[in-house]
Amino acid sequence: MVYGLFFVSGLAVGSLYALGGIGLVILRNSTGVLNFSYGAIAAASAMFAWQVTEWGLPGIVSWLSAVLVGAALSIFYGRFVAPALAWREPAVKAVATLGYMLILLGLIGLIWDDALRKIALPSDKIGVSLFGVRVTLTRIIAFAVSIGAVVGMVQYLRRSHTGLNMRALADNRDHAALLGIAIVKTETLAWGISGALAGFTGLIFGSLVRLEPTVITFMVIPATAAAICGRLRSLPMTLAGGLFIGVVESMLTLYRPGASLRTMAPFVIAALVILWMQRDQQLTFATDS
Amino acid sequence: MRFSANSFVAAIAYCFASLAMPALADDPSCGLGTEVMATGEPIKVGGINGNAPPGDFSGGTDAAAAYFSCVNAQGGVNGRPIEYIVENDQWNPELAGQVATKLVKDEGVVALVGNGSVVSMAVNADLYRDEGVMVMASGCAISECYESSNIVSSNQGPLPSGIGALTYAVEELGSEYAACIGFNIPNNGGWACDWMNKFMESKGLKGTSILMDPTAVDLNSVYLQALAEGVDTILLMLPAAPAIGLLKVAEEQGGRDLFKWVSPTPLYDPGVAEVLGDYWNDNLYINIELAPFGSEGADNKNWVAVMDAYGQDGDRRDTFSQSGYVSARFFVEALLKLDPNAIDRAAVTKAIQGISNAESDLLCKPYYVGDADRHMPNHAGRMVAYSGGAFNIVRDCYDIESSYLDPIRQQEAALGINQ
Repeated sequence: MVYGLFFVSGLAVGSLYALGGIGLVILRNSTGVLNFSYGAIAAASAMFAWQVTEWGLPGIVSWLSAVLVGAALSIFYGRFVAPALAWREPAVKAVATLGYMLILLGLIGLIWDDALRKIALPSDKIGVSLFGVRVTLTRIIAFAVSIGAVVGMVQYLRRSHTGLNMRALADNRDHAALLGIAIVKTETLAWGISGALAGFTGLIFGSLVRLEPTVITFMVIPATAAAICGRLRSLPMTLAGGLFIGVVESMLTLYRPGASLRTMAPFVIAALVILWMQRDQQLTFATDS
Repeated sequence: MRFSANSFVAAIAYCFASLAMPALADDPSCGLGTEVMATGEPIKVGGINGNAPPGDFSGGTDAAAAYFSCVNAQGGVNGRPIEYIVENDQWNPELAGQVATKLVKDEGVVALVGNGSVVSMAVNADLYRDEGVMVMASGCAISECYESSNIVSSNQGPLPSGIGALTYAVEELGSEYAACIGFNIPNNGGWACDWMNKFMESKGLKGTSILMDPTAVDLNSVYLQALAEGVDTILLMLPAAPAIGLLKVAEEQGGRDLFKWVSPTPLYDPGVAEVLGDYWNDNLYINIELAPFGSEGADNKNWVAVMDAYGQDGDRRDTFSQSGYVSARFFVEALLKLDPNAIDRAAVTKAIQGISNAESDLLCKPYYVGDADRHMPNHAGRMVAYSGGAFNIVRDCYDIESSYLDPIRQQEAALGINQ
């Protein structure tokens, strides 16, 4: 019974990691950029959603605004900064997003002081009991959206014309350009989808964990670990990785000496996955050219 | 020590100003209270706060700045204005060292007042001791702050406030087994929770520590760990934001009635009432280190008046702010006893160490400093219960029992202070 309790709790947190990881992988698959500013975009979106609520606008406007702000901030970087780095190494592209993260974090601190805030969603009040843990509808939504995002994106990439373009870009940007694929348009779409997911993740994080920009910003770390479990490519594996990290973290709580090591779980799991997956010597950050 | 005629007149004026203070509660009363702008040679005083994610500890320096402005407008320190130089260490140890060195060595401040920075205390305690400069802090939360010869804080920090909360839980709520949930930081959560457990053991009861990473996302597991431990009481040894996060998880899980919920001061924040809601009415008890924000005490009202008249827009009005006001007030009172022409660091350090039996209705017991290897003058507080978006006092001033205070009690006995 007690294991079930912690298992369910771990799945709930793991779905948040997975959501973050999925957004990272979608972007990485299409643009080759590992976006470390993902968490900061999520944080800015959550704070904006809170602000919209403070302005007295309806909840639905606030939630939509989180998604739109996430998409806008992501597209801004993707449209105006990322193209200048398009031909640089993947590590350079990734480090550049760290700069964007710091800028966003600074702006958030400038706009919103360090006061206590919360985002209350109607779904927080509705829940079911599983193994003794009350799982709110918000957590179920987070779980469902993470699965839905994986299924939807896999289908989108397989079946749609734009999805095909994205896959072509992911395979080889140079060849895709030669084939006449509208690179900027395709990449902008990928940045937008990823940003919208970041906005949604920030909103859910702000409600389920706490509306603290720093905490939301640094959720990119376990999200990256989840993405690495999917080798920054596979959406289903990223989902599985996120859920697995969440469950391991939660289960470690049961083992007293391991409880203080819980925060290491994402990194240890990611490292083990890298070691296992690199048996064929292919480097995770290697370019395909 | 030589006193000039000016300082004698000023001291008399100060005495009258002090006597008149309760009657002038709505008009700020500071220092000499002469309403003559100080124009003499400035006295340099420093202050360091930590204001960056993950927290804003600037309330102490904000209040000290407001009080010093008020002092300067009301005669200064016997005619000399205080030049208050505030630095923000941004929770960065390297920066904390740089700004302390700048203030202490380059600017040559005579003392630091209103400090509120966890990082700076740990990094600079040795510097303050080596340079013979005193820090009258206002926002301490780590062991170094209370176990250093040259730092004295007017706030209690997590240890006395936490034990105060547990004392209430044991005596009034019937707690027998308490979980102290704190950050996994050795000189903060680890230090304080260890002493919580010792307190419970000293009462023949049980205590356990549940320590979490400051950026932990999985608060559900932290809550469930307390559930699995079988405790009957949860002590939230956390800053307000993660404590609110944990309370939200508990609300999700229907945990209000499974535990007695107590907390040290951080949850006593004007913003808490706005985010908690009615669910926690009469089920959340908080120990407060200084007087309630709305207290009718003369000094509390003067704090409000000073902040209204001399504070800046956006200044925080929290416990650290009250604490900063208290530190600044006692500092100025110590300075006013000095010959204004002989104010240097050595004289100021000695004057601060000479503070004894200083009283304020913001504190439950007299404040003192003394020449000792550690300082903790404030270890008596009040208990409030959260109800209907407000905090109501459920137990007025009471002291704590802990062997941690043994050396402090010895100091107090040696100074003849009745704590």
